Amino acid sequence: MKGFFSSALARGLFWQVIGTLVGAGLVTGIRALMGLSATDTFFFTEPAWVLGGFTGTLFFLVGSGVTADWIKWMRGIDTPDHHEDHHTGAAKYINVSLDHKVIGIQYTLVALVLIAVGGLFALIFRTELAASELQFLTTDMKLFGQNGPQLYNTLMSLHGMIMIVSILLGIAGIMNYVVPLLLGAADMAFPRLNAFSYWIAVPAAVLLLSSLVLGGFDTGWTGYPPLSARAPVGMQMFFLGVFVAGWSSILGSLNILVTVVRMRARGMNAMRMPILVWASIATSLIALTATQFIGLSFQLVMFQRLFGMGFFDPAKGGNPVLFQHLFWFYSHPAVYVFILPGLGVISELLPVFVRKPLFGYRWIAMSSLGIALVGFLVWAHHMFTSGMNEYLRVPFMYSTLLVAVPTGVKFFSWVATIWKGRISTPTPMLFVLGGIIVFLLGGLTGPPNATISTDLHLHDTYFIVGHFHDTIFGGFVFPFFAAIYYWFPKATGRRMNETLGKLHFWLMTPSFFVLTFGMMYIGLIGMRRRIADYDPALGIDGAHLVLTIAAFLIATSVLIFFYNFINSIRNGEKAEGNVWNSRSPEWQVPSPMPAHNYERPFEVVGEPYDYGLNDSGFVKFIEEPAKGKH
Amino acid sequence: MAHTQDKSSALGQGVVIFVYLTILTITEYFVAVSFNAASLLVVMAVIKAALVMYYYMHIYKLNEESRDGEHSYAYKTGTNRLGLWLFLLSDGFVFAGLLVMRANLLGLTRPHLNQMLGLAVTAVLLISSFFMNRGETAMKYGDRKEFMKNTLITFVLGLGFLIGVVFVEWRLAADEGLVASFGNPSVGPLGGVFYMMTGMHAFHVFTGLIFLGVVWNNARKGVYSAEKHWGVEAAAVYWHFVDLVWIFFYPALYLIGTAVQ
Repeated sequence: MKGFFSSALARGLFWQVIGTLVGAGLVTGIRALMGLSATDTFFFTEPAWVLGGFTGTLFFLVGSGVTADWIKWMRGIDTPDHHEDHHTGAAKYINVSLDHKVIGIQYTLVALVLIAVGGLFALIFRTELAASELQFLTTDMKLFGQNGPQLYNTLMSLHGMIMIVSILLGIAGIMNYVVPLLLGAADMAFPRLNAFSYWIAVPAAVLLLSSLVLGGFDTGWTGYPPLSARAPVGMQMFFLGVFVAGWSSILGSLNILVTVVRMRARGMNAMRMPILVWASIATSLIALTATQFIGLSFQLVMFQRLFGMGFFDPAKGGNPVLFQHLFWFYSHPAVYVFILPGLGVISELLPVFVRKPLFGYRWIAMSSLGIALVGFLVWAHHMFTSGMNEYLRVPFMYSTLLVAVPTGVKFFSWVATIWKGRISTPTPMLFVLGGIIVFLLGGLTGPPNATISTDLHLHDTYFIVGHFHDTIFGGFVFPFFAAIYYWFPKATGRRMNETLGKLHFWLMTPSFFVLTFGMMYIGLIGMRRRIADYDPALGIDGAHLVLTIAAFLIATSVLIFFYNFINSIRNGEKAEGNVWNSRSPEWQVPSPMPAHNYERPFEVVGEPYDYGLNDSGFVKFIEEPAKGKH
Repeated sequence: MAHTQDKSSALGQGVVIFVYLTILTITEYFVAVSFNAASLLVVMAVIKAALVMYYYMHIYKLNEESRDGEHSYAYKTGTNRLGLWLFLLSDGFVFAGLLVMRANLLGLTRPHLNQMLGLAVTAVLLISSFFMNRGETAMKYGDRKEFMKNTLITFVLGLGFLIGVVFVEWRLAADEGLVASFGNPSVGPLGGVFYMMTGMHAFHVFTGLIFLGVVWNNARKGVYSAEKHWGVEAAAVYWHFVDLVWIFFYPALYLIGTAVQ
């Protein structure tokens, strides 16, 4: 416990509280001097909370020590390239480390914590929906200054954004851990920036969650004005949290891009890079650029609330539809940010478990970039019913349908890879196959939303919710679990329990199908999304009850995963060799990986996915050539 | 090639580019006051931006191959350079978003502002870029004293720009009724757009000034040499980027469209 209180995490959180009080106190003092009201419902006034949230983040970063080296550089003091971690065991993960593997695991752990929090929120409001009329989130109850339906709105909105941040951290975790290993690099290009990108996500999560107790907000994760312009002060914390989390994503992707361009092993030219690297490039390009737009759109609403600048207020000559354009310019490509690394994991793992070369390597590599590119041209399909200019509808419909082409390429390649393969199905492969099927379902339910005539009916119904959960489970959740099961031995030198892993899969997958099919079914019948209650006359009480049970079964399966994860760190079966019989360089050395990765550099001498072919190595370690390895 | 020339021709190139930029800025101004050709103004801004990016920000250096090993200073500088440019690309999207907002909300109208002041702060920022270029060139040839002198001039000019915008222009704009327009439907969102755009840019000028102060102080301590001065290059490129943004913001706020009050 003593170790915890002196850790970077505890120091950062302590300083975040101090920083918040300093910033908020400053504004309160100035307001008092100006003769304005100094306090409000949540003690501080809204401007005070906003500045407090901002200074709290800065204090966290300085207080945790992640910026220490930069401050030295600013004063003209040189620091060594690498610092050895002087923490061992679990302490490594709550202190600042520059090792990309530690940071990758830190990201993954926070992502898992946020998945649990976001999932808990979902269970709460899902339980309320199990029957029509309000059962426990009633108008009489009061919590954090919100009544039941208001709390429902806050939980529903936070479920969305907490999960999104969790996904961003999850993909950052996979990319951070795996990409430098695949490239043969000793670390990321900018280790300090890498640590910074991770640590800035922690205060962001705190800010996001603080919105729950500061009056909440009722806009959904999209935060559309004019509703967001008059929601309680929790709205501002939400905006600030997303803005800060956005910087984590931007700086993390910058690092990935530079690492891929500058730090590849000898002989690893563009067409010999593993697919996951290609996917990381595509996803990073989107996150690097488009994220600024969601930051900007949220900032504009923040300023509108603080200073009365009427950007999105029609009464002041503003344009609420502009917000939606700025918002979706990031938030549509963002879903490709979420899924591209997952699809990369599928392509990476599939050949390992079917013992066949990946079919159409070039096509898969290029389709990731294709999805990223087309993803920039489709944002307005979220706005068919928003009252934007009518002539924009048809071009956006066609550009959206175009996404099916590069995505289809991936599916054909995967199916052709599986074709006549020698398939084995350990847990990671189960999740890969599950991911493919679920993502297919997500893909097939997309065109009805992209087509204007059907979207006018489906917009804002549970059909969209079902479609979205299909794409994200198929594109992120299943591959994320696959990646954890697959690379867990690399990180710990132990395997996760296979029986529990299979139980996790076989409990989660059918429940998930019930959940999303049910969502789409009630959506078609007329269930609106984002509402706390529905008309019993719709006759969907029974369906809702089934959905709630399915949601709890999914939660149970994730609990099994958590148990398996934690238990296997200490008690898992030892697995220090090439567990999956993979060709990938990180598996050619014993697990767990030493601090500075490969002791000997390797050279790329063949194709990455030529499984099942004789005499076809992918990498060769320099100085001591591999002997007779096939 | 630009990077193999001697010191005097490198400085001379800086002067020539500065003259081009000055002529283009003056032309821009007269195009705007004599006939309202928005597209011509955009083209001229793009030409100015290209000149700044190539000759002052040295974008071509991204292509430089380093013959030394991966642990050499030269190779790491190449890595840092790519990182910085990607950061600028990302940051550029913020400003692009603000321009989109301006186009959407104001169209072919603009706030009524003091034209002479606008031209003056633009000139100050442009001249500061010129001195920044001289300073960086001096450091490249190992002339620490010259670098510090030019950086100090850049810093003073940058501070002048910041004061001109935040303490003079913002107040004048408030007198024109732009702050009051936050709540005035007949004027539209002119004030919000003006303060948001200039404010975001001023924030970047402010961070640029901090950056300049840091490298000036480190140069004083003797941290940089002709071979190792990545900090100087980064500060210079960032400073020119701030100027680059203003190349687009100046016509967007002061020149394009007709002024409304």
